[in-house]
Amino acid sequence: MSKITPIAAAVAAASLFLAAGQGTAQQAPAAAPGAAPAKPAAPASEAAGVKRPEPLKKRAPEKTPGQKTEVLIMDAQGIRMAPADLSAHLLAEYLILESAGFDLAQPTQEGTTGRDRLVQDEIQKLCSLGKGQQLDAKVAAKVSELATATIKYPEGGIKLGDWKKGRELAWSGFGFRTAHNPDDHGKQAPGANCYNCHQLATDRTGGTIGPALTSYGKLRGNSEEILKYTYGVIYNAHAFFPCTNMPRMGAKQILTDEQIADVMAYLIDPASPVNTSAMSGMSGM
Amino acid sequence: MMKKALLTLPVALVVTGAIAAQAPEDVLDRLITKSGNAAYLTQSPQNRMMMPDNPAYMVADDGEKLFKEKRGPKNASLEECDFGEGPGVIKGAYVELPRYFPDTGKVMDLETRLVYCMKTLQGFTDNDPQIKKRHGNDSDMMKLQTYIAMQSNGMPWNPPLSHPLEKAMRDAGEVMFYRRAGKMDFACATCHAATGQRIRASVLPNKDVAEEWTKAISWPAHRVGQDNVRSSQHRLLECLWQMRYPNMKPGSDASIALISFWTDAARGQPAILPDMKR
Repeated sequence: MSKITPIAAAVAAASLFLAAGQGTAQQAPAAAPGAAPAKPAAPASEAAGVKRPEPLKKRAPEKTPGQKTEVLIMDAQGIRMAPADLSAHLLAEYLILESAGFDLAQPTQEGTTGRDRLVQDEIQKLCSLGKGQQLDAKVAAKVSELATATIKYPEGGIKLGDWKKGRELAWSGFGFRTAHNPDDHGKQAPGANCYNCHQLATDRTGGTIGPALTSYGKLRGNSEEILKYTYGVIYNAHAFFPCTNMPRMGAKQILTDEQIADVMAYLIDPASPVNTSAMSGMSGM
Repeated sequence: MMKKALLTLPVALVVTGAIAAQAPEDVLDRLITKSGNAAYLTQSPQNRMMMPDNPAYMVADDGEKLFKEKRGPKNASLEECDFGEGPGVIKGAYVELPRYFPDTGKVMDLETRLVYCMKTLQGFTDNDPQIKKRHGNDSDMMKLQTYIAMQSNGMPWNPPLSHPLEKAMRDAGEVMFYRRAGKMDFACATCHAATGQRIRASVLPNKDVAEEWTKAISWPAHRVGQDNVRSSQHRLLECLWQMRYPNMKPGSDASIALISFWTDAARGQPAILPDMKR
């Protein structure tokens, strides 16, 4: 749960927007030095009627200087000045978790709520890198450590399942979607979404966000080491590739142990089309 | 259908005037050249070919009638609605949204501003179908949005950032764009921060390449796969659905923050309106 509870708003300007949003005409606090003067919000009483909106003057966007700016912050810790980049984070958290923009009570397929989907866990926080932001080596090590601790290997060792079932799982993008059209897991089991991002057997077109995995088993074999590594990558890939785009299919309980075994068979079984289809036919290479 | 679309096109060109005396497909063609044939822009030659007969023109045609018609409990047209350029001015208004409106104290996008005018000027309420129904070719909302947005075809995106709240919303939108969450740890940036990447067969637009990104945000667009004209808010909803996020309230401030950021990212590039997408 986020510690940030901006009761009023994250920035001075945002309190304007809150005042209007709640339909109460509050006097906004003074704006930060250098910022345009904040005006009190007009009463949002649209019922008051026919008031014709005032013509607005056209404004050209100002060039934003490189210097660090400070803005007024109002939250549970009181009123204070804070760097503008911090205020953007506070306002984002406020908009996501406090402003009723999302249906936080929406039930999820796993029995939690929309709020649980939106509150970030440690890995999600550490891996939300902005534009051009490089992953720090210490953070990478921390993410890898956190991820490694989540991996539970199956009792009795890692065994390959049925590659035919794995093939259908790899193709299916169904499952865990909520928003305006929730997936009904009672009608169809969730899939593994592999083809969304990976090329696998070349008779179907896969995405290119992740690396191509055509001939995965043919190239790597089926040693105990490879099985363990593959299981780990599917279960929680951050252990090996910190802050990867790959979802944590085991750690976040997207796939069951049995489904992971089937997907692994699709990748590694010599009879699987992943290992029998020609690499030259791959799209997106 | 085609005949009607062809009749509508010249009218649209006259209305939008000199700056935009070009069809949306011409805008796209120039972007394709400028981008060095970006895979995202060229992925559907079929859609490019169909653009002169875009079914969105028919939807916009209906929108123009609705815009000028006296409607609602207050029997008023939308010709007094201020989209930021003054009452009744819709030419070039859409490419300068979202923006801060002093009369509401809020940053608003096209949809939220339109709803505001339908309530204040025409007297509609949240439960009236004119406002409640946000999606589909047969909704007033999409007819009006398509008509209004089209008056900015070919004009460069230029959302104002001079008001502190405009800047605050844009900056919060940027944080949200990179913020990973949900069952599968997705952020907007998972799919939209590299060029030429694909989800299955679909080439994804890169937020950091404005020539690509302007097409990505050029809504309303007719979506061939859905056979309906869709809005920015609808695009956002579908992304959130794929990202395994909960439902979002239409026109929420969270949605405005994201749309503020994504419009700023296309700044300076011409809008393709109406567009046609897969």
